[in-house]
Amino acid sequence: METINKPQKRRSRIYSSEARVAYICLIPAFLGLFLLTYLPLLGVLGISLTNWTGLKSPEFVGFDNYIKIFTTDPYIKDSIFATIYFAILSVVGSMIYSLFIAMLLNRKIPARGFFRAVFYVPYVLPSVAIYVGWSWLYEGNFGFFNYLLSEMGLKKILFIADSSYVVPSLSLISVWLAGNLIVIFLAGLQNVPSVYHEAAEMDGANGWQRFRHITLPCMTPIIFYNLLLSLIANLQVVTPALALTNGGPGNSTRFLTYLMYDQAFVNYKIGYASATTVIIFAILAVFAVVLFKTSNLWIYNEGGDDK
Amino acid sequence: MSVIVYGRLRSQKRKNITMNIITFVAVVMFAILALFPIWWIFRTSLMSNAEIYRYPPSLIPENWLFSNYEKTLEIFKFWKYLWNTMLIIVPSCLAGTFTASICGYAFARLRFRGKNFIWALCVGSMLLPAMVTLIPLYIGWTRGLGFNDSYWPLILPYFCGGGAFNIFLIRQFIMSIPRELDQAATIDGAGYFRILFSIIMPAIRPAMIVVALFIFIGLWNDLLQQMIYINSSDKYTIALGLTNFRGQLKSDWSLTMAATCLSFAPGVIFYLIGQRYFVEGITLTGLKN
Repeated sequence: METINKPQKRRSRIYSSEARVAYICLIPAFLGLFLLTYLPLLGVLGISLTNWTGLKSPEFVGFDNYIKIFTTDPYIKDSIFATIYFAILSVVGSMIYSLFIAMLLNRKIPARGFFRAVFYVPYVLPSVAIYVGWSWLYEGNFGFFNYLLSEMGLKKILFIADSSYVVPSLSLISVWLAGNLIVIFLAGLQNVPSVYHEAAEMDGANGWQRFRHITLPCMTPIIFYNLLLSLIANLQVVTPALALTNGGPGNSTRFLTYLMYDQAFVNYKIGYASATTVIIFAILAVFAVVLFKTSNLWIYNEGGDDK
Repeated sequence: MSVIVYGRLRSQKRKNITMNIITFVAVVMFAILALFPIWWIFRTSLMSNAEIYRYPPSLIPENWLFSNYEKTLEIFKFWKYLWNTMLIIVPSCLAGTFTASICGYAFARLRFRGKNFIWALCVGSMLLPAMVTLIPLYIGWTRGLGFNDSYWPLILPYFCGGGAFNIFLIRQFIMSIPRELDQAATIDGAGYFRILFSIIMPAIRPAMIVVALFIFIGLWNDLLQQMIYINSSDKYTIALGLTNFRGQLKSDWSLTMAATCLSFAPGVIFYLIGQRYFVEGITLTGLKN
């Protein structure tokens, strides 16, 4: 009996000192998870059920805020539309652009590192400066794009002052900013085993066939990761509205996060804004869940362990 | 037979060379397109207002008016804004990198009760968008702790690991380091903290630099939080200063573009210094899932 017990006891003592160290190391994470993540998450749910304005003490109003948002709010419909419109254009555009550039860079070309740096550079610039800078390229009379249009004999466009062009114009900027996606794609492409390509080439497969049946399937996990990354980032878009458009013209760039900012920090309707936050969160969650649920339909697992 | 194969290989090779040339030309063209907006902004910053509105516009300024920058600096307090931005970024990077590293170590190497559950909470919080917790955190920082017009609400979160994503990144990196290293140290009598500080930390330097760079970019771009926490203009960061400057000088494009270029500069410099790590780090995040 004793002989069995002894080593076990010793092991559990090692365990407990190891655990103590672990808990000490994890103090920052505990604080972060509890105070900065999950407690505020409960908080936003709680506040959304009140009519708090920041001045008087809050009163419990049940689901009033949610009912108001869906029945009488003048902005929510435009806001949801603007956000999803922007996110879809940006995500689709930046996925195609970054995969295409990554495939070009994956071939044996001189100065590849330099070009990779070139495409990546927009990502490290402060986004406010980027929007301000691009607003000059988009300027209604003397901007570069309007110069191009008038050279082609077309009418000038108010890229950011016209409600039907502003969202696509801002999406183009966010496509241009997709340098980090390029780098991730490039790393993924370099992991596609070259034997597959060589074998297919032997069998006489052309470039498109090799892309469609080798590169694309091998890249699906990375495509999924990039898709998730850029979808979550773009659905939370707010900086262009804050720095450039203030939600206009009309409500065409009143993105959901901007709407929440406006309600909470300009109009101090904190309870109401919290309800908007919960709705934004729900929309993001729906997109993420759909992406995850459909992922096993198109993600290819190497080794075929997808059963 | 061998002649046919040889011939086919040779034509294949020739085809490859032409393909590579076409690719190179395409890459150069796209690179020019990608850099063009930056050049256009830069060349505008060096032009007089009369030259900006000239038709057709020229690609290169007639006289390089560096005096535009002097004029801009009179109104746009760039050095002050840069200093303020650094007051937020430097402590955040240091604290975030350190705390993410020790948390990542605990998750990667140590065994303790509730590990899976805590890890699940961490991964779950990674999927939680930052804007969801904005209002309660704002109330907590300003009402609860009295941080009005202060940098602390922007900095202090980085004392808590700087977000689950960074902890995740460090954990993945530590898991790729062979365990034999720590085992050897254990035999030599080193404790867990000793292993962490003298073996793990030196080995994960690249990952730590990456985390620092991500924190840098995150703070750099976070206009929304800076807007809600900072009020007085002498505490403005670059992002706030530029937004405000643009509002003041809506039509003076050359000065606005000069201010824009000034704001570009620190990012470009940091990127050139840390380029190798940037690429490494981003690759790391994408592949280790």
